[in-house]
Amino acid sequence: MALTIFSVMIGLLLIGFPMMIPLISGATLGFVLIFGGLGQMETMVQQMLAGIRPASLIAVPMFIFAADIMTRGRSANRLIDMVMAFVGHIRGGLAVSTAAACTMFGAVSGSTQATVVAVGSPLRPRMLEAGYKDSFVLALIVNASDIAFLIPPSIGMIIYGVVSNTSIAELFIAGVGPGLLILVLFSAYSIIYAKLQDVPTERPATWGERARAVQAALWPLGFPVIIIGGIYGGVFSPTEAAAACVLYALILELLIFRSIDVAEVWETAKSTGLITAVVFILIGAGAAFSYVISFAQIPQAILGSIGIDGMSGIGVLFVISIAFFIGCMFVDPIVVILILVPIFAPVVKSAGLDPVLVGTIVTLQVAIGSATPPFGCDIFTAIAVFKRPYMEVIRGTPPFIMILLGVSVALIFFPQIALFLRDLAFAD
Amino acid sequence: MSETPVATDNAPAPKTKDLGDDVSALPGVLGIVDLAIARMEAVFLALGVLLMALNTVSNVVSRYVFNESLYFSEELNQILIILITFAGISYAARHGRHIRMSAIYDQLPPPARKWLMVLIASVTAVFMFGLCYFAFSYLQTQMSRGRVLPALQIPIWWTVVWLPLGFFMTGVQYLLTAIKNIIEPDVYLSTSVLEGYGDDELEI
Amino acid sequence: ATWRYAFEEALEEVQGKFAQKFKEEIEANTDHTVQLFPFGTLGESDDIMEQAQSGILNFVDQSPGFTGALIPEAQVFFVPYLLPQDQDTLNEFFRSSVAINEMFPKLYAEQGLQLLTMFPEGEVCMTTQDPVHSPDDLNEVKFRVMTNPLLVESYKAFGATPTPLPWGEVYGALQTGIIQGQENPGFFLESTKMYEVTDVITCIGHNNFTTAVMANKDFYDGLSEDDQKAIDAAIEASFDYILDYQQGLQDESLEKIKEAKPEMQINILSEDERKPFMETAGDVEDAFIEMTGDGGEEILNQMKKDLATAEQATQ
Ligand code: NA
Ligand code: NA
Repeated sequence: MALTIFSVMIGLLLIGFPMMIPLISGATLGFVLIFGGLGQMETMVQQMLAGIRPASLIAVPMFIFAADIMTRGRSANRLIDMVMAFVGHIRGGLAVSTAAACTMFGAVSGSTQATVVAVGSPLRPRMLEAGYKDSFVLALIVNASDIAFLIPPSIGMIIYGVVSNTSIAELFIAGVGPGLLILVLFSAYSIIYAKLQDVPTERPATWGERARAVQAALWPLGFPVIIIGGIYGGVFSPTEAAAACVLYALILELLIFRSIDVAEVWETAKSTGLITAVVFILIGAGAAFSYVISFAQIPQAILGSIGIDGMSGIGVLFVISIAFFIGCMFVDPIVVILILVPIFAPVVKSAGLDPVLVGTIVTLQVAIGSATPPFGCDIFTAIAVFKRPYMEVIRGTPPFIMILLGVSVALIFFPQIALFLRDLAFAD
Repeated sequence: MSETPVATDNAPAPKTKDLGDDVSALPGVLGIVDLAIARMEAVFLALGVLLMALNTVSNVVSRYVFNESLYFSEELNQILIILITFAGISYAARHGRHIRMSAIYDQLPPPARKWLMVLIASVTAVFMFGLCYFAFSYLQTQMSRGRVLPALQIPIWWTVVWLPLGFFMTGVQYLLTAIKNIIEPDVYLSTSVLEGYGDDELEI
Repeated sequence: ATWRYAFEEALEEVQGKFAQKFKEEIEANTDHTVQLFPFGTLGESDDIMEQAQSGILNFVDQSPGFTGALIPEAQVFFVPYLLPQDQDTLNEFFRSSVAINEMFPKLYAEQGLQLLTMFPEGEVCMTTQDPVHSPDDLNEVKFRVMTNPLLVESYKAFGATPTPLPWGEVYGALQTGIIQGQENPGFFLESTKMYEVTDVITCIGHNNFTTAVMANKDFYDGLSEDDQKAIDAAIEASFDYILDYQQGLQDESLEKIKEAKPEMQINILSEDERKPFMETAGDVEDAFIEMTGDGGEEILNQMKKDLATAEQATQ
């Protein structure tokens, strides 16, 4: 059954159907096969609604809206000018800054999709201007946004902690090491890429120019204050911070800079709604598809046939990594965690594995999966926001995925990457 | 989002032209109705997003200034996101903005593209009309059960009304795209986007 | 046949334990098998409830508080101090209550559901950053409650600022300080690690988290008499099992918390300290009656009678 469904989905995808159709037909086929007809299709509709309902998803349209206002107005450019004044003369400097911005924004907002939009939309045009190729830029934005999963707060880790009865505080700390390692490796790759592609650099800015750039960016610097200070400072939830950014962006661009008018705000809201709809219908269709996989207990069937009982610790970790990686290629990460973690729980226990290490590995795979073709929310978001073809968005991903998989393997053989900070913080 | 000059490293996709919200695929009165619906969808999208921002900000302000949370805030956002999504899928279908992987499609010669588009659009329309039917029966089920939103205390089915409507309007858009491709010489990606003309994507 | 059973918690939490016992009983005594679907695998609480109504699921566990959107009277379980604070009396209450065993089944049947049983999951306690000994201590405390008007009403009456927040955001919000408190039964405080981001647990005896197991009514009515008996027996056995499992679970959970975080302050308020909280119950009762009318009032009064009966029986 699983094979039939996946084949149909991939086939429709390749022919060029709108992405919602492979997902919807996969789900429909599942409902027909499970219930012997169309009798329970109302539940499919219910699941599409359930997919778009989670309150935390509201952060996505809000950050799209705020980022678009900033990009149309002056805020985004002034912030980037400021960054460029400091790193423009370093080869790959802009790419490294983008990766760092994605990491920081993603870490705090907790939403990879919001990161793709909020960091990607202002920075992508500048990176293209600076001479980076679009495939690299898109892949960098999509993949660096994933680091959000690993650095707290992380909804994936919270769900894992609850399902596996593992300390969430320890998970949060354990994610930081691998998260930063990935950032360092992405940065290294960016610098190598910039050298190989001979991306031009600017002359170093003088300190006077830098001071002026900072001064020009004073108002827009309120955005990182709202997001980082607001969320870590306990003023806002990520969703609220997103809405506060909208308000601040409107005040800046409409009233202070007077760079946009009310008609443009209306247009921006409309385009935000459009992008939201295009991405959310896929989230909804994906939820209906996840339901089929979950209801038919397909993962249980597949894993049952592998026979992981009695495997060594490292063997189990490899199976877990592969299972979550493949699962997240097709299905919503949260659902994958909810289904797979209890299945693996007994073998994790009998192999004597540290549940915090397992949680970190699971979260990393979830992060990789949401940026990995064929189905991934971050890819969808990038396509919708940047209006670039699917192939172009994923063309540059292989080196990034290689790095991520490399870190996955490293984590299995050197658990201290994750556990070092945890042991330091929770030493008795 | 603004379009930027792109240093792309692969062959450009075929040029397209968006006719905007001013030209309908339909003749006469139907066309006027169609355009009115398009405008209404646009209003729902923009208004939905603005209300969502207002609602979320108000909740924060109320919490800090009046020491009182808006307990219905989350439910209101849920209603708005459903409205935006289902008004938006039809609007996106009209403007050919639904995400698709067109790598193979783009390699085909124009006549093949045209007929493939007829196939894609009609199959998609069938799915949309099917979902419209099931969403409608889901709506009826909700009406018969009378479940309410816990905070707002309004019936859940109010939030479901948009589903059959959105699916139906989207189905109509894809059906019209198929028909247009059959009766007209050009290749239409959607009712208002035709391929092979124009230099820039029209901003929508 | 394969019967499908979904619930709102993880497999090793109370609802999961009940479901596992039910599965074990059914599979031992009939040739049917039971598939279990824990929290989130088929959607959220309301989603699995609808699936049980439409017959995709045969059994579902949904707490009456959530069912309030469908059966307003079920929100009676959010009225504070309506359930016995003592474990033995509580067990007796659930066994003998006329409201639970006779009145609610009719209300559920109207929604196409066969109410099989209701059982308590554990005393609801608050976790906060500062000690709470009286309603005054909750002044200005932003307290997370589920999106339910009666819970909002309760915590307003307790003096706090009720702040509805989606469950997924609670841990983070406590950590950063957007909110300073939340409430849940003891085992849930432990399993969801709420104690990691708060400093004080306060039990005021205001509620015991109640949940309900039901079957799709058409499915149940269509079963052979033997199968119906087997289900009723399995529910009976699981009910006894879960009350037994409950005995001491609250203390065990609090001990585990203490072990994981020795500096955690755990305050079980005395009878005297509880009084000012108990006095607020009237406001919430009024709100409940306003929301649910005569039907609600009838249930509320019956619950009070049941409480008195249970107290007498266990004296
Ligand atoms: Na994060
Ligand atoms: Na994926």
